[in-house]
Amino acid sequence: MSEQQGGLEEGGDHTPVGSRRTFFGWVTKVAAGLIGLGLAIPLAGYVISPALKRRAQSWVEVGQVDSLPQGEPSQLEYVTIVRDGYLEAKTQKAVWAVKHPDGAVTVFAPLCTHLGCGYHWDTTDRKFKCPCHGSVYDVTGAVLAGPAPRALDRLPTKIEEGRLLVMYKEFKSGLSKPVEL
Amino acid sequence: MRIYKWLDRRLNLKPVERTLLDEPIPGGASWIYVFGSATLFLFLLQAVTGMFLAIYYAPTPDHAYDSIQFIEEQVTFGAFVRGLHHWGASGMVVAIGLHMLQTFLYGAYKSPREVMWMVGVVLFLIVMAFAFTGYLLPWDQTAYWATQIGLNMVGTVPLVGEFLMKVMRGGELLGALTLSRFFAVHVLFLPAILVTLIAAHLFILRRVGPAGPWTDERASLGRETFYPRQVYMDAVVMLAVFAVLASLALLVPFPLTDKANPSDTSFVPVPEWYFLFYYELLKYVHGPLEPLATWVLPMVVVLGLFFWPFIDRNPVRNPIKRPAALVSGLLFLLVVFSLLGLSIRNLYAVPRVDPALARGQALYQQFGCIGCHRIHGEGGAVGPELSYVGDGRPDREWHLKHFRDPQSVSPGSFMPKFPLDDKQVNDLTSYMLSLKRTPS
Repeated sequence: MSEQQGGLEEGGDHTPVGSRRTFFGWVTKVAAGLIGLGLAIPLAGYVISPALKRRAQSWVEVGQVDSLPQGEPSQLEYVTIVRDGYLEAKTQKAVWAVKHPDGAVTVFAPLCTHLGCGYHWDTTDRKFKCPCHGSVYDVTGAVLAGPAPRALDRLPTKIEEGRLLVMYKEFKSGLSKPVEL
Repeated sequence: MRIYKWLDRRLNLKPVERTLLDEPIPGGASWIYVFGSATLFLFLLQAVTGMFLAIYYAPTPDHAYDSIQFIEEQVTFGAFVRGLHHWGASGMVVAIGLHMLQTFLYGAYKSPREVMWMVGVVLFLIVMAFAFTGYLLPWDQTAYWATQIGLNMVGTVPLVGEFLMKVMRGGELLGALTLSRFFAVHVLFLPAILVTLIAAHLFILRRVGPAGPWTDERASLGRETFYPRQVYMDAVVMLAVFAVLASLALLVPFPLTDKANPSDTSFVPVPEWYFLFYYELLKYVHGPLEPLATWVLPMVVVLGLFFWPFIDRNPVRNPIKRPAALVSGLLFLLVVFSLLGLSIRNLYAVPRVDPALARGQALYQQFGCIGCHRIHGEGGAVGPELSYVGDGRPDREWHLKHFRDPQSVSPGSFMPKFPLDDKQVNDLTSYMLSLKRTPS
């Protein structure tokens, strides 16, 4: 109280005291609080929003099921638009597709499960072979030889009106179980 | 509160608090003194929203436009934050105008406050530089062409103009180098200068004290401290300013125009309203007199403002006893506002929009024309782009025939024959003809 009186002497007789002083202090605090909230909430949302958006994975058409040879793996192009904020990039990947006698299709991710090299289909041996460290897989993706820790990774597929749709995924290499990246 | 006491015991904060809050105000607190605080608040708001805009903005011609569009459309509250920054800039010009007007009216620039006034004039110029550099950053057509004009005006300055313009532009072209230097100046150089000058402005204020009422009798009527009543008034005004800006940001969208296109010379840019009076002035001054309007007159006005405390040497502060100063001030405002008014009238003297256009546009949406045709970057690329079809095909008959039977005038076209009645064909044609570079 003595401090306030000191301020009063210096400031002059018009400086509000007591409940009037408290009132002005209150209004000031409320105004500051409202401005603060009015800014803090939108700005927090503004900064956080990209963190809450999950990259939507989408089905991409890779070809017609009819045009696939039965029992013979063929490499299909997987083209997708990747949105990176305000940038858009077209990425191209290749996947391996095998059509079964019943019409179902298995699609393998194009990377060797050992260290992620790109493998190829040896038409004479009828085996998938990885050129890097000699891993070998059969047509079902099972490991036949080499350092590969697990079978080839399968990608989700669906067939709509004869069109083959694939959802591309990447998996960690070197593990005995497929773990999505 | 306990933390404050704990800190106070160590840092001895009470005297600081006393200096900040117990500054005496001659004649007592008043609503007329709020404009300086309002300006300071707006600057802080611009600084905060600007920092947040920089989180997503990319200052290159390749990405600037897309990044702003991303903020507008993808980022949560993005349009709101950008809106606050946009309207905040206008608010700042208004607040500074009122602040200067109050200072002028109260004769508060007179001895011993001449230096405070001069720093204030420089602060005003810095804010104008903020406005000019910030305007280019969205890299849309308005931004590009308005800056092109601004730079060309710099070019009309005798002797050094050409060189100065090239320095500002970063070379021969308005392009990547211009955008990055405008960005750097807008977000790094100018803020540094502005903060320093604000500090100087406030330092001088504390050294000489506020001017108070214009007569000593009224000043001696009573004194009170800055806290609590003046702080309360400032806070209420700040809240009101914030509420107005937030409403504008929410309710009045500020969309981008098309992405900057240097080859499209037909675009007619319109400067921000606070540069409009100047824009209008340039319409009346031509030929050899042009430099007079582009730089002599502004220089005279700026120097006149800067040295005003030494031009007006009358020590009396009461405006009624300063008729010469008052008349010159009024005259200046009259000229500025007349030019602004004229300019706004010319801008909005555009003929009323034909209701057929709106109906045609609705039909365009309804029949899914957008699936094949592109207008200003939106729509498919199967059919011809229609952004400026009114320029390319101004013939009304052609469109009427074309809508009834596309192949009759455009053999081999795979545009389907839509089931349109005569009125619809007419409306769509009107809409097509309205798609021009310069709206008539």
